[in-house]
Amino acid sequence: MESIIVAINEDGRVSDDNEIRRVTASLVDKAIARNLPGLQQLPSTEAELDVGTSAKELIYTEDTARLYHYDALCDEIYRVPVLIVMSPVARGYILDLAKGQSLIEYLSLQGHDVFMLEWIEPRRRHATLTFEDYASRLLGNCVEKVLECSGEPDVTLIGYCMGGMLATMYTASSENPAIKNLACFTTPFNADGMALYKTWVEAGAVDIDRLIDELGNVPGDIVNQSIQALRPMQKTAGRMTLLNNVENDAFVKAHLRFDHWATNQLAIPGALARELFSEFLRKNKFFKNEYLIGDKIADLRKITVPFLHVAAEYDHIVPSAASAGLVDAVSSEDKEEIVVKGGHVSLVAGGNAIYRLWPQLDKWLSARGQ
Amino acid sequence: MTTEDELNPIRLWREWIVQSEKMWSDSITEVMGNPQVSGGMGRSMQEFLHMHKMFTESFAQYLSGLNLPSRSDILDLSDRIGQLEDAVAAVSVDLREQRSLLASTGVVSETKPAKKKPSRTKKPQAD
Repeated sequence: MESIIVAINEDGRVSDDNEIRRVTASLVDKAIARNLPGLQQLPSTEAELDVGTSAKELIYTEDTARLYHYDALCDEIYRVPVLIVMSPVARGYILDLAKGQSLIEYLSLQGHDVFMLEWIEPRRRHATLTFEDYASRLLGNCVEKVLECSGEPDVTLIGYCMGGMLATMYTASSENPAIKNLACFTTPFNADGMALYKTWVEAGAVDIDRLIDELGNVPGDIVNQSIQALRPMQKTAGRMTLLNNVENDAFVKAHLRFDHWATNQLAIPGALARELFSEFLRKNKFFKNEYLIGDKIADLRKITVPFLHVAAEYDHIVPSAASAGLVDAVSSEDKEEIVVKGGHVSLVAGGNAIYRLWPQLDKWLSARGQ
Repeated sequence: MTTEDELNPIRLWREWIVQSEKMWSDSITEVMGNPQVSGGMGRSMQEFLHMHKMFTESFAQYLSGLNLPSRSDILDLSDRIGQLEDAVAAVSVDLREQRSLLASTGVVSETKPAKKKPSRTKKPQAD
């Protein structure tokens, strides 16, 4: 077959074996792409999946922190910049998943000046980083950088998942007057509400000290498995849905974007994981207003700025039992809780987020952005 | 798609898996939340860590003998690449600051047109 197709080129030159193989492979690929929709070569890297494509500049870097400033998409923006704080275990591109499916792009189009504090994979030298480093030193430095870059005296903090813990801890412990507003999405607050993890800690299912002594940081794979344990069959069900929609290329690509994000969790620095187990899960100090960030207590009653908490109705990672009460715990007079349909991730990045959460968030920010 | 596709038994089976996923997940999670099962998981993890330590130590010598890198060597390499990435990120931040500083003083012109700074005067739309 090969010799029939390409043995002799148009210019009369005889093809060599490599060229025949290359042309044949190309023809086969084309045939597959043309006749079996959904079976084109599947994208697998972040570049191929087109994630995190909003234009941005890296403006600050320290240890595992990376602070980005997104390009404005309007000629006129609100005065107060917005700093989004990502969870230390999740990659930031979930908030900038794809064009038209990006919270960052949406906020920029509505006229907000958006910054994002993302975290990179911790390495061995980061194994000693603690909550004090994340919620005080690194976040504090990024807040200062945002103020410097925007030229404004104050900023709105938005924390997602554990990023909400960091933002809340920082606001409560630093009492920095530059924090004008604070919004948190699906923020774990009461460890007693995280039933499975609580049982694991109390039953000794995870010897965190030994794990860290042996591995240094808690690997992303273990973080991923711990999250999957909360809904073990979800991944299988996702694959079944993917197979049932394999002819829909848009669905396949969207599924792969989510899947790539969900299976690429970041490792947790050893000291931070140890603290998370001991101070948060076992002793529930965040809930009891006893969490020490350096020499200051993260007392949520000291938070008086406008406060918003957004919970997802079907969140299995931070269930309502774990986030309920956060709004009541702060002293702000202007405070609100929104419960929207959706899960932990679809809340911020699902196809319906643009109809559910995003407009409500924009409305809340806009009213407090001057 | 076609009715034929909708009646495809494999497709129907997959849909059944999706619809009953929460029930299965809840059941498995309940089992994992049992203190005895959790204790068993803890013992398995201890065994894993013990084996990990044992293999790491014993294989390091073999790998060294075969002139192959061990996990520790790979982690060393990863750390060095990480340090390079940190340095590149820091240089990138410095360059950006120097560029905007020089552009603001008019010492150099921007190679690409300077981005127009948006005005911070936007007000929320009345409902």
